Amino acid sequence: MRLLALALASLTAFAPMPVMAGVTEAIREHILPAVEEFSAATADLAETAADDCTAEALRPSYRQAFDAWMGLSHLSFGPLETDGRALAIEFWPDPRGMVARTVEGMTADADPVVDDPESFPEVSVAGRGLMALERLLYDDALSAYGAGDYNCRYAVAISADLSRMAGEVLADWREHAELMRTAGAEGNARYMSENEASQVLYTALLTTIEFDADQRLGRPMGTFDRPRPTRAETWRSNRPLRNVTLSLKALRGLALTMSDDPIPATEAAFDTALVTAEALGDPLLAGVETPQGRLKVEILQQQIRAIGDAIEAEIGDGLGLSAGFNSRDGD
Amino acid sequence: MIGRRNFIAALLAGSVVPHLSWADAGSPAILGAAREESGGYALFGIAEDGGDCFRIPLPARGHAAAAHPTAPEAVAFARSPGRFAVVLNCVTGEVLARLVAPEGRHFYGHGTFIADGDILCTSENDFETGQGRIGLWSRSQGWRRVGENPTHGVGPHEIKHLPGDILIAANGGYRNHPDRPGVKLDVPEMRPNLAYVSPDGELLEKVELNEELRLNSIRHIALGRDGLVAFGMQWQGDPALGMPLMGLHRRGEATVLDRMPVYEAMAMRGYVGSIAFDAERRQIAISSPRGGRVQVFDETGRHLRAIEREDVCGIAPADRGFFLSDGLGGLMRAGEALHPLAKHRGRAWDHHLVPVMA
Repeated sequence: MRLLALALASLTAFAPMPVMAGVTEAIREHILPAVEEFSAATADLAETAADDCTAEALRPSYRQAFDAWMGLSHLSFGPLETDGRALAIEFWPDPRGMVARTVEGMTADADPVVDDPESFPEVSVAGRGLMALERLLYDDALSAYGAGDYNCRYAVAISADLSRMAGEVLADWREHAELMRTAGAEGNARYMSENEASQVLYTALLTTIEFDADQRLGRPMGTFDRPRPTRAETWRSNRPLRNVTLSLKALRGLALTMSDDPIPATEAAFDTALVTAEALGDPLLAGVETPQGRLKVEILQQQIRAIGDAIEAEIGDGLGLSAGFNSRDGD
Repeated sequence: MIGRRNFIAALLAGSVVPHLSWADAGSPAILGAAREESGGYALFGIAEDGGDCFRIPLPARGHAAAAHPTAPEAVAFARSPGRFAVVLNCVTGEVLARLVAPEGRHFYGHGTFIADGDILCTSENDFETGQGRIGLWSRSQGWRRVGENPTHGVGPHEIKHLPGDILIAANGGYRNHPDRPGVKLDVPEMRPNLAYVSPDGELLEKVELNEELRLNSIRHIALGRDGLVAFGMQWQGDPALGMPLMGLHRRGEATVLDRMPVYEAMAMRGYVGSIAFDAERRQIAISSPRGGRVQVFDETGRHLRAIEREDVCGIAPADRGFFLSDGLGGLMRAGEALHPLAKHRGRAWDHHLVPVMA
């Protein structure tokens, strides 16, 4: 943080540089509002938990906090990547079952760390955040706790920790936004040229499109012979499809701020996928277990990938950006 | 460029004998291949401060280069599975030789010089049998192929050598075929290893990881102090498992795997593109262009720090740290903090940076 502050101090000495199209708009209209909303939603979660930490009382705030998270979880650079914050907020995918193991370990041992807000951030990322809290609020074996029980205090600790992290992300984003706006200025080691700020947004956009298709849909799809519906993200809280929809809406918002020119093909591709997602009417993506249901999810998956193609053609070519000279080339 | 012009002027004036050194090529610290704004490709010699020492056009996208230990000559390899490599005079830019892999062989994109710089070793695949080969090429005999040795494994990628010309091959474990570029063959059966091979091809020691790490393809190597070998891996299973991606080995000792925080391991997305020690050989860095991350470790495998940088891949030793390069044209020095050295618009640095006179 000290280095960042120094870098910022030296930056203010220079006249603002012209930043590539879209960066200022993306920060003002997309990023900061999403980060602020997440901070507010987790503050509300923490407040609710302090008041009544039973599962039933907490669930509505949990859902809102998760909805808000879907507005910024794709910003996979800078503040969310510092010290693994994104995973501490949401530990998923989790093929090893680390969340289950950590949460069960905490509750079995009644680890007193939940009563110490100073030490709680040192708990493994798998035992904190939205996925650990989902276990406490929605897992039948864990959620039937009463006020004052260990799990209740654990839920309070996770909620407070989420609110703390969201506050830090907000503070860091206000600083990071300045680094992005001054991309290419002397002394800006994070963004060495003007186009690097657009480039990180562009990469985040394409990476998350891929994540929605390959992880959020691909994991529950499994293989044709072995579909894995309980590998879907947040299936306990009944929101696998909702996350896909909210993610696509957030990405659509980001895409629109990034380009000065109209992006009709990209918008159309988003709309197609969003209509298909809505028509699925299958919040759990449980349809992956039947050949017909699987086909429907596969169609959605293809439509999401098609958004990526449209983005590359319209936004990438328009701004002279390309993704992954090395990341897409193996060896 | 100035070095080259001065040299040619001096040559014309008859004041030098044509016995060239790297100083004549501008004393580059590292070599790196890149795509340029025009869409063409070139090999660059890069000075300690990040400036260009020379630029030599390449016929196609490169992967890595091998720098001759004393003469200003570089071998530029095509991307795997390629069948061509070019030997370049880095002072004049002239192509000294074109190396063509023999029938039934393709290059894997890396090489190293032994025998005081007379023999170039290239990592190769005998693509019918899948057995790894080290091709041997003699510089003093006009870059003639003079033999080959086994790598004692499948799919060798980077090769390096220890004192006594003992070769170390990173046998990645899976096969490729030139007819199917980009396709990995036989991944379910893979059994990668790190092999120490004597100059006459004998297996001296073979390092295999535990069964549960079978899908971790050992691909890149860096050399530390007292025979310490660091290797970077590419996990062919689920990247979200956050498997170890860096190992340390010294002959006759047990292998040590990296200890990264789980979130950094997952951020690497199961992929290490390049590995290097710093100039003091006390720290090791691995890069993942897929994760936009560099992870730095000490000699015991303890994690020291993470560096976030989009499409970062090339790493080479630098004074108190590392040179880093990325696909956006950025060239940096990373010590405790990141210092930009150069940014060339439209230049995309390819996978590897190769130290000169290392």
